[in-house]
Amino acid sequence: MRQTILQGLEQAYSNLVRMIADFIPRFLVMLIVIVLGLLVAFALKYILRIVLNLTKLDRVSEEAGASRILRIAHFTSMTALLSRSIFWLTWFGFILIGLSVLGVAGLQEQISRLFQFLPEVFVGILILFLGLLTANFLSRTALLAAVNAGHRSAKVFSWSIRFLVWILTISMTLEELGVARQTVISAFSIIFGALMFGLAIAFGLGGQDLARQLLERYLGNTKKAKDNEPQPL
Amino acid sequence: MSDERRHYVAGSFGIPQFESEISSALAEDTILADDLLRQLMSVGEVDLLVGIISHGDAITDRHAFHAIEQSFQEHFTRERAVIINVGGGDNHEGDASGAAHGDLAEKNMLFARSLRTVHRVSADFSAPPSAGLALRTILTAADLLRARACAMVSPGTTNLTPDRIASLLNPVFRERFDFVAPLYTRHKFQGLLARNLLYPMSRAIFCRGIRELYSDEWGFSGRLASACLSQDVWHEESIKTRPEAWMAISAISSDFRCCQAFLGPKLQSATGPATDIVEVFRHTVGNLFWCMESRQSTWLDCKRSESVKTLGPEQELTSEPADLDRHRIFEMFRNGVAELEPILSSILDPETHAEIKDIVALEESAFRFGPDLWVRTLYDFAASHHHAVINRDHLVQALIPLYRGMTFSFLMEHSDSSAAEMEVVNESLCVEFERRRPYLIEKWKAKMEVKS
Repeated sequence: MRQTILQGLEQAYSNLVRMIADFIPRFLVMLIVIVLGLLVAFALKYILRIVLNLTKLDRVSEEAGASRILRIAHFTSMTALLSRSIFWLTWFGFILIGLSVLGVAGLQEQISRLFQFLPEVFVGILILFLGLLTANFLSRTALLAAVNAGHRSAKVFSWSIRFLVWILTISMTLEELGVARQTVISAFSIIFGALMFGLAIAFGLGGQDLARQLLERYLGNTKKAKDNEPQPL
Repeated sequence: MSDERRHYVAGSFGIPQFESEISSALAEDTILADDLLRQLMSVGEVDLLVGIISHGDAITDRHAFHAIEQSFQEHFTRERAVIINVGGGDNHEGDASGAAHGDLAEKNMLFARSLRTVHRVSADFSAPPSAGLALRTILTAADLLRARACAMVSPGTTNLTPDRIASLLNPVFRERFDFVAPLYTRHKFQGLLARNLLYPMSRAIFCRGIRELYSDEWGFSGRLASACLSQDVWHEESIKTRPEAWMAISAISSDFRCCQAFLGPKLQSATGPATDIVEVFRHTVGNLFWCMESRQSTWLDCKRSESVKTLGPEQELTSEPADLDRHRIFEMFRNGVAELEPILSSILDPETHAEIKDIVALEESAFRFGPDLWVRTLYDFAASHHHAVINRDHLVQALIPLYRGMTFSFLMEHSDSSAAEMEVVNESLCVEFERRRPYLIEKWKAKMEVKS
C-alpha cells in the first residue's frame, strides 16, 4: 500500500518535472517572441511615422476634416493614429503567436479563430472611420449651403445628415462584424423607413404650402426669387 | 503631328522654317482640331484677333460679329484681322452663317471700305467647351497666327459697340501694352465684391491693381498669349471655369505692360455667369486664393504696389435708388457667424474671431465692419486656404456670411456718399491691405499647427 502511494507520488513528481521541463523552454520562446514582437512593432511604428510625415498625410487629413474627429477621440493627428495602430496590431499578432507556442489545449483553436476574425475587424474599423469622415464632410457641406441660402435652421439640416450617415455606417460596421446580422438589418430598415415616412408625412401634410413652393421653384419654370442683394461683380 | 505637315503649315504662313520655332508653334496637337488648323492656315499671319465664346444664341452672336467687323472697318482699315468664334453644342452655328446672310446690303457697304479681308474662323466642339478650353483655343490660334493685338469680347454684352472693341485693341496695337483691363460706369452698390475684396487684395498682394479682374472683355498682346500658353495650368479647375483673372494676374505679377481702358456702362450680360453668390465666390475668391498659391514665388518678395495707367476716365459711379433688403443681409451675416462658429474658429485667428463675435452683438444702426478687421479676416482666410486647414471649397463658402456683414456695413456707411467720397474710402481700404501685408506673410509662412 505504502509502496504504491510512493510510486504514485514519484510518478506525479516525475510528470510534473517533465511538464515543467517541457513548459519552461516554450515559455521562454513565448517571452522571446513577445519581446521580439515589441521591438518589431516599435520599428514599424517609427518607420511608418517617418513615411507618413514625408507624405504630408496630416495636411490631407486636416483638409478632409478627419483630424477634427480624431481630436474628439484624443488623437493628435492621423499619423499618430496610424502609427499607434500598426504598433498594437503588430504586437498583438506576436503575442498571439507566442501564446500558440505554449501549446495549451483549446487555446490554439481560439487563437486561430481570432486570426480569422482580424480581417473583418480591420474592415469594420475602416468602414467606421470612412463613415465618420463622410458624415462630417456632408454635414458641413449642408451647413454651409443652408447658411448661405439664408435658412434659419441650418444646424437641423446639418445634424440630420450627420445622423443618417452615422446610422448607415454603424449598421454596415455591425453587419461586417457579423454581430446579430438579421437584427441589425431589420432595425436599420425599420428606423430608416420610419424616418423617411415621417418626413414625407411632415412635408406633404404638415407643410403642404412649403412643399408646393419648393416643387414649383425646382420643377416649374418660375425663376428663383431675388434676394435683393447687390450684384457682387 | 508629322514633319511633312509641319513644313506644309510653315510654308503656308510664309514664316522661316526653323524647326524649333515651328515645333513650338504647332505643339498644341491636342487643342486644335484639323478643321480649325485648316481654317487658320488659310488665314496666314494677322495683326488683330478678336475671340468670342459663343453661347449658342444666334441673335447675340450676330450682333457681336457685326460690331467686331464694324470696328475693324472703322478703326483698323489697313490691318489684317481675324475673328475666332469658339462654341459647341446643338445651338452653335459655326461661323454664324446667319450673320453672313443677314444684313447683306450693310455688309457690302462695309466691305466696300475694306482694304483687307476680315477672316472668320470657327472652332466647333461637340459640346460647349469650358471657358478655359475656349480661351486656350483662342490663345493657341493667336500664337499660331502671330497676332499682335488680341481682344476677348462676350456676345452676351448688349452694348457691344465698335468703339468699345477698339478701346481694347488700340492700347495693345498702337501703345504696346500687353494687357488691357476694362473700366466701367457702374451703380455705386454694384460690384461690391470687386470693390471691397478682389481689387484691394489683389493690388496689395501682386503689387499692381486692376479694378476689373473678372470681366468677359479684355485685351492682350501676342506676347502675353504665348507666355500664358506655356504655363502648365490648363488642367486646373480654377482655370477651366474662370481663366480671365488668372490671365490678368499673370500679367500684373510679371513684367508685362498693363493698363485699364474705360469702356462705358457695365450692363448685365444676358448670357453671362450666374449670380448665385456661392458660385461667384467659388470662381472668384477661390480663384484668387489659388493664384496666390500658385504664384507665391513672385508676390512674397514684392515690396510696394505700383499704379496701372488708365486710358480715359476713371471708373464712374451712378447712384440711382436701389432696391436692397439691408435687414435681410444683416440677418444672414448674424445667422452665419453663429451657425458657422466651429468652422470660423478653425480658420480665423482667435483675436479676429473674437472681434467678429463682438460686432455681431451690435445693433444694426451701430454696426460697422471696420477696414482693419476686414483685412485681417481676409488674410486669415487666405493663409488658412494655403495651409488647407479645412476643405478649401468649404473655406471659401465660409467667407460668404462675413462678406455679407461687410456689404451691410458698406451700404449703411455709403447710403448718401458721393462717388468722390467712396473713392477716398476705397483708396484707404487699399492702403490698409498694403499696410497689413506683413501680417499675411507671417501667417502664410507659419507652420501649420493643429488647433485643439
